[in-house]
Amino acid sequence: MCGIIGYVGYRQALPILIDSLKRLEYRGYDSAGVAVVEDGVKIAKDKGYIANLEATLPKFTGVVGLGHTRWATHGPPSKENSHPFYDCKEKIALAHNGIIENYADLRDELKGRGHTFRSQTDTETIVHLVEELYDGNLEDAVRKALGRCTGTFAVTVVHADEPDKLVAARNFSPLVVGLGSDENYVASDIPALLKYTDRVLYIMDRELVVLRPRSVQILDFEGRPVTREPQRISWSLEDAERGGFEHFMLKEIHEQPQAIHNTLLGRMTEVDANGFFQNGFTGVKLLACGTSHHASLMGKYILEEIAKVPTTVELASEYRYAPIPTERPLVLLVSQSGETADTLGAAREAKRRGCKTLGITNVVGSSLTRETDRTMYTRAGLEIGVAATKTFTAQVVALFLVAIRMGLERGTLDPEDANRLRDELRALPRHVQSVLNRAEDIEALGRTLAGARDMFFLGRGIEYPAAMEGALKMKEISYIHAEAYAAGELKHGPLALLTPETPTVAVVPRDRNYEKMMSNIGEVNARGSPVLAIGTEGDKDLARFVDHVVYVPKVRDILYPISVSVVLQLFAYFAARKRGCTIDKPRNLAKTVTVE
Amino acid sequence: MKAVVLAAGEGARMGPFTASEPKVMIPVGNKPILEHVVEALVENGIHDLVFVVGYRRERIQSHFEDGRKFNAHIEYTVQSKQLGTMHAVWEARELVRGPFLVANGSSLVDAQAVADLLGSGTAPALLIAESEAPEKYGVVSVSGHYVERITEKPRQPEGNLVNTGVYAFDPSVIPIMESLLGEGHYDLPSLLSALAAKTRVRAVRTKGTWMDALYPWDLLKLNAHVLNGIGDLQSGTIEKDVTLRGKVAIGEGSRIRSGTYVLGPAVIGRGCEIGPNVVVYPSTSIGDNVKLQAFTVLENSVVMDDVLVGPHSAISNSVIASGVRVASNLMASADKANAQVEGEWHVVDPLGALVGEDTEIRDGVVIEPGSVVGARCHIGPLSRVRGNVPNGTNVM
Repeated sequence: MCGIIGYVGYRQALPILIDSLKRLEYRGYDSAGVAVVEDGVKIAKDKGYIANLEATLPKFTGVVGLGHTRWATHGPPSKENSHPFYDCKEKIALAHNGIIENYADLRDELKGRGHTFRSQTDTETIVHLVEELYDGNLEDAVRKALGRCTGTFAVTVVHADEPDKLVAARNFSPLVVGLGSDENYVASDIPALLKYTDRVLYIMDRELVVLRPRSVQILDFEGRPVTREPQRISWSLEDAERGGFEHFMLKEIHEQPQAIHNTLLGRMTEVDANGFFQNGFTGVKLLACGTSHHASLMGKYILEEIAKVPTTVELASEYRYAPIPTERPLVLLVSQSGETADTLGAAREAKRRGCKTLGITNVVGSSLTRETDRTMYTRAGLEIGVAATKTFTAQVVALFLVAIRMGLERGTLDPEDANRLRDELRALPRHVQSVLNRAEDIEALGRTLAGARDMFFLGRGIEYPAAMEGALKMKEISYIHAEAYAAGELKHGPLALLTPETPTVAVVPRDRNYEKMMSNIGEVNARGSPVLAIGTEGDKDLARFVDHVVYVPKVRDILYPISVSVVLQLFAYFAARKRGCTIDKPRNLAKTVTVE
Repeated sequence: MKAVVLAAGEGARMGPFTASEPKVMIPVGNKPILEHVVEALVENGIHDLVFVVGYRRERIQSHFEDGRKFNAHIEYTVQSKQLGTMHAVWEARELVRGPFLVANGSSLVDAQAVADLLGSGTAPALLIAESEAPEKYGVVSVSGHYVERITEKPRQPEGNLVNTGVYAFDPSVIPIMESLLGEGHYDLPSLLSALAAKTRVRAVRTKGTWMDALYPWDLLKLNAHVLNGIGDLQSGTIEKDVTLRGKVAIGEGSRIRSGTYVLGPAVIGRGCEIGPNVVVYPSTSIGDNVKLQAFTVLENSVVMDDVLVGPHSAISNSVIASGVRVASNLMASADKANAQVEGEWHVVDPLGALVGEDTEIRDGVVIEPGSVVGARCHIGPLSRVRGNVPNGTNVM
């Protein structure tokens, strides 16, 4: 997920580097840095936003430079671990995307020969290797250095002794050269270049390129020149990123099988937090805001059923300012971005109250990871649509993993049950896929009901938070007023609002609450309100009592909310599309709420 | 140069494997066939791709996105009615300007084949290859280096050189396409015939790879071919006393338990749990998030994502689609078999079982060689399955 940019030409490099890095900003990153050739090589870098870096930047005026944004996948973001890196003598600066697999051996070897390392990164080994192999010609040194590295990379390098030159190389990580007049660019992604040029040269695996203001030379890793024709880019940014989907939200809904794969990846046989859940608490408290709060509400049912630990859920914004009870539960903080101001505040408050804390977030190195004792990543990938979809289902899956580990460590879940549960989790991507395969039917329903002014969402047990999340999605993107009720509460008020003009969405899988839900549907029917039900495949009875049914695959009770949520996401999406809403950017809403 | 890649079709002859997935997304060597085509194009410097999509296009779009992960830039155009291959190219007409290639997303081509076509000079040109079953394709009669005529699916083929569906065109064909469409012709061979009547169309023979998957068992051939070219990058956790021989690739987050024996070429995806004591013989692909339990033996098979195979199963020369769950003791051995797809019978030697997605197989089931089990079936304990089982069947 890192981004690389390089410039050689006649203009000041710094503004071009910063501007290009900003073009990759929306994809997320945790630190950024630049190196400019002037009186040697100058580096400025820091963790955090590019705007922060920009504010503290010295006024470099050099005309050759490189920049980098890092999105940490391993290890924390910090100034030391940010790119670019210097060699020992601070004459070379290098930035890198990818992973050097044999870096540990190389590092030991280089340290043995007296090199001093300033960071924990694999990248820094490359710059010291280049330093050692440098003999007056940068491309030779880079070529030889990379010959000794195994792994994936795209690198950019500048040297103080060859001030009009920038060398870049690639193996598996993307790299493209942009051609200007008397100036040239290199970047990991075309969008970073499009403002400056539409003529590009694609660099292939195991190739190296030497950029000067008036020349670009491509070489293979044996040093032989390669000829390549420039290509003209004829597309715009926005369209490209959506990859054929009408909206990011739809793209992200369809990415859910893959996101769940990634959340489960490597965790079915072991969970990172070994021994963490064994003792030190008698109950669990989940704190979150918005959609993450709904995932947490599901987490209550999941933790209580699997790990058999009493669990409460609170809104982070309420917990922060509430009076302090004497108990010390384990506190789980759930935030997609890890930057939600109220959740961060709640994490600090929980610590102040002496509680053990675990953060669940999607963004590596986010602030939440520093405010909690342990972190679990949901690994759903970057989400651009403001309405959370794949990051929500990934949070719920992560809570299952926590519950299984907690149950095993506390001896409340027997290993055989844990095994069965894991096999059922493995099937989740398929269940989600089977809902996605029915998208056309759900689209028809979304269009049919898009004219409503109000809607009600009903569920019982763990399907109640699923109904709440469904209602939230509907409100957020279609602007239809939607309210969720625990179905048992119908007769305590909302029945008065039901009319033939207010459709009701009922979540009615064949679970332990089925009979009760059916009688609630009877109450709704009596008011003439059209009912859309979400039921279990093969439940033929249901169709006789409601107007429309969408089926989800049969699973154990607490696993239903995953596929149910996907149905409700698609339903909200298609209703909003029919209404012509700006789905990816709903009015008055921001992806990450960093204010209270 | 741009390439237009045809990826709209369903692929009805692929039996249960296209129940929810377009044919181009069927994996061989753990990558969709279409991804192998993209790699061949990108290796030849063709990064700007136009995918013509239709049936289940979301599956294609969410895998390839904007192409960045594949060092390409991909634009999509939707062919709402799958009328034919020329109609598909026509749908992409506004996205091509200069000369362009046309490739079929569901047949495997390698970089060499693309390079041969590119290296041959000016458009129009057609890539031809030898085929063992020319009667299934357009047979190309050649005079010198040029196409004389194309005969679609002849009963008695004049030769074994067939149309691979890979073409080089320039934009001058677009008006010709328009008039042909007006006359009710929708396929690229009609365009070729029309061009051949007017101008010279080069026929380029390739020494590279062109392999088409017409029937589900062809996937085993494609898979074996692709596995010959894999690297042996191994991630994940490999426990003590695991034997890996030959080229074996293992994905991130997978765990290979003690006593497991893998003979390459073989590829195991991400997040798998294999063993203890599982045996994998060549040439086998195992997808992501697959669990194979103790004493299971796999040979020359394709196992797609999210599959669970319980202990003591023997699976040979078989294709197991995503989400299949086997309780234990499945016998799917291979032999010379009569298999039926879309009403036609074929003799395939050897062939095991072809099992569609999300089918649940209980303990002790025997699937006879060449049987085709549909998607979302339920096969009860101790059943014996022979012949074709339609999608969604409950076998007690």
